[in-house]
Amino acid sequence: MTVLIRIPGSLKRWFNGSETAECECFSVKECVEDLEEQFSGMKDRLIDANNEVTSVMIFLNGDNVLKLDGLETSLKDGDELSIMPLAAGG
Amino acid sequence: MIIDKPESKFIFIFNRMTATYGNSYTVHNDRPLTNSEVLKSWGKCLILGTRPWLDDLAKKLDSYVEEEIIPCVKYDREPSKNLGIEECVMMAYCHIERREEIWRIFSKFGSDYKAWVSEKETMELWEPGGPIMERWLNTTNFDKETKEKIRDNARQRFDYLENHPNDIFKPLAQ
Repeated sequence: MTVLIRIPGSLKRWFNGSETAECECFSVKECVEDLEEQFSGMKDRLIDANNEVTSVMIFLNGDNVLKLDGLETSLKDGDELSIMPLAAGG
Repeated sequence: MIIDKPESKFIFIFNRMTATYGNSYTVHNDRPLTNSEVLKSWGKCLILGTRPWLDDLAKKLDSYVEEEIIPCVKYDREPSKNLGIEECVMMAYCHIERREEIWRIFSKFGSDYKAWVSEKETMELWEPGGPIMERWLNTTNFDKETKEKIRDNARQRFDYLENHPNDIFKPLAQ
């Protein structure tokens, strides 16, 4: 299944200048792994050593995944993930 | 009505009744919300952009705020680079039941980005020990006493909201 990732301009450099990316995945965790394969070093940018989302916010169709099931949050075809620097959330 | 006061970190869009008479904008179904209702159901749709792009967007959103389709908008005067943000953040405040409408308006003007942060989440980010509060304090030159005073003020504000659930919500002056 395909999930669309939306990225704000300031994080485009993480994604080789693109404002969107696509992943084939069934969970946010798999999405992070997929993004790591596409963009080396991405995993460390998105999650910390404890496998927690701490430096960015990841939204599934608008909702913070930390308020859902975190990295275990299931994804379905057509879902959209938006990534934002953590500090922008305040 | 765009309120742009240089002394404020933010530029606001309020409707004229709020800007002129201080009417509450935390309203849903024609009723001002209480503290507990705000913590449960109020929040903001976030988008990021350059200041010129957000200035242009603000002009387009002004009429939606005047018509009370969007209760309130605020955005950064400049990026919070001390917090690692290179763009300005725009926040369109609304009841959670209205957020899809806000996203449709954003989409109409070129942003399909969807990010919702509730007031409760904002509190968690800015409470003493919260990730943004502590990151921000670390970027300042405040002495230990001042930092603790800031934490105390935040704690008192959040405690008040939680301990007075039925009071009408009053936004923090910014």
